[in-house]
Amino acid sequence: MTLDTHPTLPEFEYIRPATLAEASDFLARHAGEARPFLGGTDVFVRMRDGFLTPRYLVDVKRLDGMNDLRFDPQAGLTIGAAVNMNRVAAAPEVQAHYPLLAEACRTVASYQLRTRATIVGNICNASPAGDTIGACLLFDGVLHIQGVDGPRLEPLKSFFLGPGKTTLKPGDIVTAIQFPLPPQGCQGTYIKLGRNKLSDLSIVGVTALGCPDAACASGYRFRVALTSVAPVPLVAGAVETCLAENPITPDAIQEAARLAAEASTPIDDVRGSARYRKQMVGKLSARALNAVWRKLG
Amino acid sequence: MVEPKVQGNISPVGENKPRIDAREKVTGAAVYADDIQFGNGLLHARIKRSPHPHALIKKIDVTKARALPGVKAVVTGEDFPGYIGLYLQDRYIFCRDRVRYVGDPVAGVAASSVEIAEQALDLIEVEYELLPPVLDPEFGAGAEAPLLHPDLGKYVVANFIFPQAGTNISNHFKIRKGDVDGAWEQCAAVVERKYRIPHIQHVPIETHVAIAKVEVTGEITLWGSSQSPFAQRNLIAQSMGISQSKMRVIAPFVGGGFGCKAGVSMEALAVAIATKVKGHPVKLVLTREEEFYTAFVRQGLVAYFKIGCDAQGRLLAMENKFYWDGGAYTEYGVNVTRASGYSSSGPYEVPNIKTDSCCVYTNHPVGGPMRGFGMPEMHAGLEQCIDELALQIKMDAVDFRRLNCLKTGSSLVTGSRMHPTGLPQCIEKAADAIGWGRKAPASAPNKRRGKGLALMWKAPAMPPNAGSSAWVELAEDGSLNVGVGGQDLGQGVFTVAAQMAAAALGVPYESVRVAIPVDTRYSPYEWQTVASRLTWSMGNAIVNAAKDARRQILETVSAAWEEPIENLDIVNGVVISFKSEKEVPLKNLVIYGLPKPDGQGWRGGPIVGRGNFMPTYVTGLDPETGQGERAVVHYTTGAQAVELEVDLETGRIDILRGVSAFDVGKAINPELVKAQMEGGFVQGMSSALFESLQLKGGVLQNPSFVDYRIATSTDAPKDLEAFIVEVPQDDGPWGARGIGEHSMVPTIPAIANAIYDAVGIRLDGPPFTAEKVYLAMLDAGIVK
Repeated sequence: MTLDTHPTLPEFEYIRPATLAEASDFLARHAGEARPFLGGTDVFVRMRDGFLTPRYLVDVKRLDGMNDLRFDPQAGLTIGAAVNMNRVAAAPEVQAHYPLLAEACRTVASYQLRTRATIVGNICNASPAGDTIGACLLFDGVLHIQGVDGPRLEPLKSFFLGPGKTTLKPGDIVTAIQFPLPPQGCQGTYIKLGRNKLSDLSIVGVTALGCPDAACASGYRFRVALTSVAPVPLVAGAVETCLAENPITPDAIQEAARLAAEASTPIDDVRGSARYRKQMVGKLSARALNAVWRKLG
Repeated sequence: MVEPKVQGNISPVGENKPRIDAREKVTGAAVYADDIQFGNGLLHARIKRSPHPHALIKKIDVTKARALPGVKAVVTGEDFPGYIGLYLQDRYIFCRDRVRYVGDPVAGVAASSVEIAEQALDLIEVEYELLPPVLDPEFGAGAEAPLLHPDLGKYVVANFIFPQAGTNISNHFKIRKGDVDGAWEQCAAVVERKYRIPHIQHVPIETHVAIAKVEVTGEITLWGSSQSPFAQRNLIAQSMGISQSKMRVIAPFVGGGFGCKAGVSMEALAVAIATKVKGHPVKLVLTREEEFYTAFVRQGLVAYFKIGCDAQGRLLAMENKFYWDGGAYTEYGVNVTRASGYSSSGPYEVPNIKTDSCCVYTNHPVGGPMRGFGMPEMHAGLEQCIDELALQIKMDAVDFRRLNCLKTGSSLVTGSRMHPTGLPQCIEKAADAIGWGRKAPASAPNKRRGKGLALMWKAPAMPPNAGSSAWVELAEDGSLNVGVGGQDLGQGVFTVAAQMAAAALGVPYESVRVAIPVDTRYSPYEWQTVASRLTWSMGNAIVNAAKDARRQILETVSAAWEEPIENLDIVNGVVISFKSEKEVPLKNLVIYGLPKPDGQGWRGGPIVGRGNFMPTYVTGLDPETGQGERAVVHYTTGAQAVELEVDLETGRIDILRGVSAFDVGKAINPELVKAQMEGGFVQGMSSALFESLQLKGGVLQNPSFVDYRIATSTDAPKDLEAFIVEVPQDDGPWGARGIGEHSMVPTIPAIANAIYDAVGIRLDGPPFTAEKVYLAMLDAGIVK
């Protein structure tokens, strides 16, 4: 039993490769002891607290394309891995076409931290509580990954394996996240429940996105993503089915919210109990779905 | 009552003078302890701490640590046999035989760098034999609990503290007034409740910092972030077995204290280590984690109340039991126990009352003083019981308070009479401003709105003879330098000191400076910056010093002008005569005196005024009944009211409005008084909604701001109102009383009462987190 009242950043070597290929090669050669980093807002804190002890930290944020933010009317939005959250939230293209993403970014930590924090960093940390992950899942984000065998694409929905665990392999560097054009006429919202109003980690996060969809019996397609209530960020498929098949009524929304709560598998921790979290998934899913339904109306 | 001469409309007392330290602090020029540069000889200290809540130390091996290059000294409890403590000397500087909380210091290292000091900590091997811990004060007070301080009966203790040797009770304060047992049958309504108040932290923005240097002659200098340089001089000298004259404490600006930098805590560690590396300054800075684990905490409380009233709502009886979770050492906490005992009626007249307030040793962090000194914890339950009692007899809660609250001349719990008080006016101001009795509609269908109000009283809790002193001296230009030993913790006391000195002497506020940093070698004695006592006690000393200087000046001028002293006054830095209409500016005269005519020499000389103040009228209380002539110097009273909304879907509470009204006797600087009321409200609100040290098996689960949440500006209500009531205090300068701590005393129960008003639930203690509120509503069937 030990007590660490003097947490300090352990020693590490700072590596700044010139090219993506070089970075990837270095990471692959030092599998298990090297780690890429972007804004560092999570990595350094976790290193200081002793949860991560990489020998090498590989700074990838200045590599080619990492700072690009592009919108294409056909292909959609591409956000380079190193684009910070304040820039995402302020970008006119994001505000015009993906306002939900801007909304989610603005709930992360504080303004000062958001000048460093990145969406891709948030995703790669694979925290079940990541505030921007719900929006990225519902906008069908696809990750651009540079690996030792060259670039590849990987859908976000199959990326998370567990808390802090992803499908990334040694040598992999996520260079960007890309979103197709959002569904026509879609509306969304992110509800973050923290202990106080500002800069907390979420106890429960509910992201909802809805759009008119003639293929659905109800005429609408709704999707809900849940954070902080399962080992990985979760898209509650039962919600989508429920609201696609049944006419959108207050009862149907209540039922969908109940299904969301049922899909969640929260735990007790210092921030909240499993019992409260499960309750909140239901309440906040209903609130989010109603809010989106009102916006669609 | 001290009656300084009124200076007409130029007196800065009662004016909103700008803070004397504002420019330095805003520009970053202000020097804090960590800013002071010590050059190459500086060594860095780190502390090896116990990971166990309760264990015997079997063996400490420091040989490997000592051998590490760069390590200059390693010390353990073996080196320092002396006890230390403010009211009860129950603490070693470093643990000697056992550890009593997670974080208890077992060894200290001084090294040439922080990194080496930390490496050395890992090389210190400590062998423990684990003992069962005491984790609950009520259990700890019982006979089955393991004994944490077997030597309690031998400790040096102040004569108003009553430790129970052979138990874990380090102070048992009793009130026995009237016939409580006989009173219950006359009661039309009785409320019995139990509350549990969690430990919280002070979380000053600046963590504790101390730099100690010991000369080869044995003289010690300590630079620290401190509320109590003089108490530190005295207690550390005593513990180290040296003369107070060999101990010097220098206290630069402080980045917030709220009580945790009072008395002595980690400063003694730095001094102890420094004795082994003479000539080298040794610096110890607590990390935020260390601050959470080891700085004084606001101790926990388990409180039982039984309160009864007659059919007309008149309070008849109270029976209160307080079990204070004093933690591993209760050297300071024992007096929180006493203060809550002699205030246990709350601000009410209660003819029959029985109180047992016990300080109990546990294996939790060390309890100490925090803003409010037991009063927020005690009022948290009591002021909810008052609401419940009013409800039972179907009386409006504010009417109930109007009827029962202390008025001038009321009989107090300790047997004496209440001095002039503006508590009734405070109630009216708070009730009126919050719109008491009018229900506003909620802002959304899923919200419920409620209002709550609570009262408070609090006396400065201190030894009966806590003293202050001050000096004033003038320079060639007539500017005034004021020497004080009290500390500005952000509350603005240096500004108020300058205002009072200027007014009492008759010089412009702008020409006053305060002689800082406080340095026990040059500054006049001040007991401690605690108990909201400085404006009052130090203020009296400053007024006396200014009057002394004034007398010297006027005697010189009176002799020179051959006019009686009664004709003269000092106005705006000029001595004037009402009769002859002569005038002479203070400049030059206050250093060189005045010439006699025709080259006959000079009269007067450099002016130095000195003054002191010590209450001489506080009497002891009977140890069995808690009754006595005058338990304390005086009580500040006040009221707070809130309006809030509860979110039925999440349990989240939004404080919409907060109103404070306090009787401060006289506001020397009204804006600073209002700032205290606002700041206290927000800190009180933070403790009501968010704050709690989550202790599990004696181990802190949330030692960082990630999981120890405090209110931010966005959590504070947009609408905060503060009302100043001024019913003068007989022993205060211009009638002033303290306000610093009082402003967070009634906040928890005001919020609790408003939650009840909104949704009809009561919780057994703060924090009223969204989760607790929601689950309570769910369990009560209010939501589903």
